[in-house]
Amino acid sequence: MKEFKPLPDQPAPISTTGPIGWLKNNLFSSVFNILASILIIAALIAILPDMIDWLFISANWSGTTQADCVKEGACWVFISAWSQQIFYGSYPDGELWRVNLCLILLAGVIALSFILPARIRNQISVPAFLVLPFVCVLFLDGSYIGLREVTTNLWGGFSLNLLLAAASIIIAFPFGFLWALGRRSDMPFARSVSVTCIEFFRGTPILALFFMGSVMLPLFFPADVSVDKLLRVWIILILFMSAYMAEVFRSGFQAIPSGQYEAADSLGLGYWQKTLLIIFPQVIKVSMPNILATFVMVFKNTVFLLVIAVPEMLQVIMTALSNSNWLGGHAIEGYLFVGFIFWICCFSMSLLATSIEKKLDTSHKN
Amino acid sequence: MSADNQVIEKTDGKEIIVIKDLNKWYGNFHVLKDINLTVKKGERIVVCGPSGSGKSTMIRCINRLEEFQRGSLTVNGVEMIDDVKNIEAIRREVGMVFQHFNLFPHLSILDNLTLGPIWVQKKSKAEAEEIAMKYLERVKIPDQALKFPGQLSGGQQQRVAIARSLCMSPEIMLFDEPTSALDPEMIKEVLDVMVELAEEGMTMLCVTHEMGFAKKVADRVIFMDGGEIVEQNTPHEFFDKPETDRLQLFLSQILQH
Repeated sequence: MKEFKPLPDQPAPISTTGPIGWLKNNLFSSVFNILASILIIAALIAILPDMIDWLFISANWSGTTQADCVKEGACWVFISAWSQQIFYGSYPDGELWRVNLCLILLAGVIALSFILPARIRNQISVPAFLVLPFVCVLFLDGSYIGLREVTTNLWGGFSLNLLLAAASIIIAFPFGFLWALGRRSDMPFARSVSVTCIEFFRGTPILALFFMGSVMLPLFFPADVSVDKLLRVWIILILFMSAYMAEVFRSGFQAIPSGQYEAADSLGLGYWQKTLLIIFPQVIKVSMPNILATFVMVFKNTVFLLVIAVPEMLQVIMTALSNSNWLGGHAIEGYLFVGFIFWICCFSMSLLATSIEKKLDTSHKN
Repeated sequence: MSADNQVIEKTDGKEIIVIKDLNKWYGNFHVLKDINLTVKKGERIVVCGPSGSGKSTMIRCINRLEEFQRGSLTVNGVEMIDDVKNIEAIRREVGMVFQHFNLFPHLSILDNLTLGPIWVQKKSKAEAEEIAMKYLERVKIPDQALKFPGQLSGGQQQRVAIARSLCMSPEIMLFDEPTSALDPEMIKEVLDVMVELAEEGMTMLCVTHEMGFAKKVADRVIFMDGGEIVEQNTPHEFFDKPETDRLQLFLSQILQH
């Protein structure tokens, strides 16, 4: 009998791999692509030098007042002079460590959910996340734990955007999940409540909700009851985000094959065991891109708080722009900076989500 | 030649499944018509019939993956009624193997197997893992324990699915076309496991078109068409002396190739 000998592997032709192959495949693969590539390269050559010059080379980097901005380029002095307000709002000087502590706690809890071994990750991370917003409120406010009280009208700047978004996302996650379950439920009461909530908060613009929360809601409360403005805003963000998350989760539920429910049922798992052990982890996996999109949306939506005079980052920049010592027209620098900071954050969230997706992927598809 | 007067079988042994006048509709579509079936402990039953004949629907009623509208169903003395306690009690006694395996893709093989014992039977993790390894060895893939379902071949996945059901030590095993989604080379490895299980005395209800398996292990073969049980008999009588023309036609068609 003849013996079967597999042929050895040979390297691919050099013109299809390596940098030259990449250029050929991606930039110069057809007449249209060649034209587009040349056009784009020409445009970059025309724009980039001036842009780099304005942004970096002839920009003003050092100084403390507008008078220090003598060169042609961007006046980054404007940003550095206002940096404390931009990041911390009017939070008192000596108490800034409390804001920093909250940010570190947030970063720590996120890191924890990555580094803990899978065995104990959920038992520790989930409670840590859920407790975090309230710990932050205790520290930032201070009056309940024996620190100097800092009222919420002094909270502000980018740290407020970040913490408010994080606190809303964390609370909205379980809420959204419950609403999504409610919407799929057989119980008429749970279903109608969920559908009403989801459709109301998803169908109303966030700006309208903010106005309602800050202007209209207080009219319905008795005169002696006052609910803090930031608290109202937080609740609105939670409800708004929950509605979106509920729909994200619902699409995730629909992507799970019915066989998964049947297998769980046939093992005798109860409703909550089935939902939390079998369905939820798979829903999270398929919904990850949409969950991230919702996170980013809510995070960016926090700048809308400026319309009800909450001193978040953009509001601080606008206040700074109208300051009599800085009337030199630094709007471009200010807005660029806000955009840049948000972009950095959203991009890191994107990277984080991609790494979570990879971690969750056990399907081993080719 | 009605099916009703053909109640065959040895009368010893406990009646573990009793189905009486079971009727089911999907909307206005009458899927199951007056199903009467009694299964004794240790009995091995093969159900066959053309697609759409209601055979899967019937066995899915037994663990309430499908509801029925009329008639009664008793499993191991527990009546199937609209009560979560009864349903869960029945499901604990009944294991099920599906056409598409339905393993949980986000859990390792070992976790797939220990999930039921840990969460439903409240066993300790160590005990559940011991049971899981015992059954993985029985289906001859203990070395795959730490892999994920997506890394296994179809035949291996189906054997894991069988082991997952066995970990709950069920009284009854239901098989819903367990080899229909498998490549020819893998069908044998799954059937071998099922034959072994049958030889150990497990009560089995198996929807399948593997007639060789039916001849080898079944105590009784049931033929369904149009939502009713047309004929049931011992394999020998069933294949050699079909009583109805409908079964004759069916057999001639599936045995042709």
